[in-house]
Amino acid sequence: MTAVRARRFDGGTWLSEAPVDLWTLARWTGTAAVVLFFIFPMIFMLMVSFKTQPDIASGGFIPEEWFWQNYPDAWNSVAVGTYLRNSIVAAALGALVTLVIAVPATHAIVRYRVGGKFLPAFILATYVAPPIVALFPLFFLLRSIGLVNSLFGMALVYGVMNLPVAFWLLSSFVRRLPEELEDAARIDGAGYGSVLFRITIPLLMPGIISTGIICLILAYNEFLLASFLTRSESTQTLPVGLSLYQGDRQLRYGQMSVASLIGIVPVYLLAMFFQRWLIRGLTAGSSR
Amino acid sequence: MASVEIRNIYKSFGPVEVIHGIDVEIADKELVVLVGPSGCGKSTLLRMIAGLEDITAGEISIGDTVVNRVAAKDRNIAMVFQSYALYPHMTVYRNMSFGLRMRKIPKDEQDRRIKWAAEVLELTDYLKRYPRQLSGGQRQRVAMGRALVREPIAFLFDEPLSNLDAQLRVQMRTEIRELHQRLQTTMIYVTHDQVEAMTLADRIVVMRDGYIEQIGAPERVYDRPANTFVAGFIGSPQMNMLPGKLGPDGTIALEGGVTVRHAESLEAQSGRSVLYGIRPEDLQLVGEGEGFELGIDVVETTGREIELFGNLGSRRICVLLQARASVRPGDTVWISPAPERAHIFDAESGVRFDANGQA
Repeated sequence: MTAVRARRFDGGTWLSEAPVDLWTLARWTGTAAVVLFFIFPMIFMLMVSFKTQPDIASGGFIPEEWFWQNYPDAWNSVAVGTYLRNSIVAAALGALVTLVIAVPATHAIVRYRVGGKFLPAFILATYVAPPIVALFPLFFLLRSIGLVNSLFGMALVYGVMNLPVAFWLLSSFVRRLPEELEDAARIDGAGYGSVLFRITIPLLMPGIISTGIICLILAYNEFLLASFLTRSESTQTLPVGLSLYQGDRQLRYGQMSVASLIGIVPVYLLAMFFQRWLIRGLTAGSSR
Repeated sequence: MASVEIRNIYKSFGPVEVIHGIDVEIADKELVVLVGPSGCGKSTLLRMIAGLEDITAGEISIGDTVVNRVAAKDRNIAMVFQSYALYPHMTVYRNMSFGLRMRKIPKDEQDRRIKWAAEVLELTDYLKRYPRQLSGGQRQRVAMGRALVREPIAFLFDEPLSNLDAQLRVQMRTEIRELHQRLQTTMIYVTHDQVEAMTLADRIVVMRDGYIEQIGAPERVYDRPANTFVAGFIGSPQMNMLPGKLGPDGTIALEGGVTVRHAESLEAQSGRSVLYGIRPEDLQLVGEGEGFELGIDVVETTGREIELFGNLGSRRICVLLQARASVRPGDTVWISPAPERAHIFDAESGVRFDANGQA
């Protein structure tokens, strides 16, 4: 949003346009309030990361004294780097698995009405169930293929877990692709595979990228399944790692805040970098 | 090169039958236009020929092969879509080469054909552009080019000109006709525009509600429409259609107290209710006392011709004059129809009386 106001030349002197009017002021105040509301937890966490344990207990907002030691301590007491890496690997692989299945599946369901009306409804219905009901089945399934406590196992779980979301996001992109393009390709001599890979997927790229990013973020933030299905430092993800700052006697809030801030960085960078795609993904189908 | 045969074709979408058993035989090298109002099934028929829609019942042959079970990609036909359906992520060159790459035509042969098509369609300077960088007319040419380079056994056109402005449409129409004369390839062309149909076709297939109303050469369909629907659909301004009763001596008593003559031998049908059809250009201005009187309330001029409108009884009548005439709204003119140009239809069924007096 730009607030730059044109200046006009008026009989020898430069006059600035009328000063900010009341409506603009109200709008900006409103926007600031909303932004503050959402960003406040972050700022609070940032403050906590600079506080000593007693200072945190006393409950003020600004640290009484700026305590920097949380940063090296957080890094040394728990393997933040490893957890971060695990999270990124599991989430990225998971998103990849989701896309590899969801793109052709969505295309087939939307375009060729595979599964009629039942399949699309059923896919979304599975997402309504609380994830915890899948916990034990997933555990036994993973154990039978030897993938409990492995990053591949987690990638597989995330890949499948996010399929309904991916289907839901992608289907609006597929619906917006003109059917005649695929007809034209078929008449030009393209079989199903050629149509999919040479026409549909290149044109769906914006949708595929935004869907991939959303699935990646969902997997990156996942805690419940990761906490049950991974056991060792080499496979645990960051959300699980964060829970380990709970010591024998006390919760090390300061260090936990530090690790949380580190964990947020990749997601925020991703979101900022792909903002354009993300918004397209989240608002797909809302307008033509 | 191939003939196309459509035998007793039915098409249903779910429980709704949209094409009810039609037959058309299209000869090799012929340009046939399927024309009719929207929803008449002409595009569906074309898509069945292309292999984009399943055939519910009946048989379609291209050449000597029944293609009911042949996939679109294996029919070796080309199609130009109303929306052009250009691949937006490919340049003009890649758009045209796509079909050739799919068929594994050697690179130098691809290049030769694309350069030739680009030359014919005046696209040579645009080969490296993307569709979004082209005007509507240029996109339309690319769509044609994509079909041309394929050297298919038949071309299908699905309202290819309806997104163009009027001037360009007329120009492209001529170009398609020229192209057909040059290539000598079977073409099937779908349009709802009867002028396009008349100017392009070797033969016209007039369709309505999933049935064929008439098949024939443009002049034949224009001069001897098989029924009131075809009579009204082909020709602009529309044929005047006046209810009346057949008299014993080659006359028809029209509503509004006017009697006109006709040249058909329908003595046996005397007394029967008919619709008397006469095209606007077959009505002439005559001296006072001849023909019948018509009060004019609207005068429209196109520069080349003048259209006069008035009421005869409850029916609206249009008179088309090729020559200048100083007629103004409010004037009364005397007009006379040419008897041999009259079309007589059975009032009930709308079917034309043939030479034997049968409806």
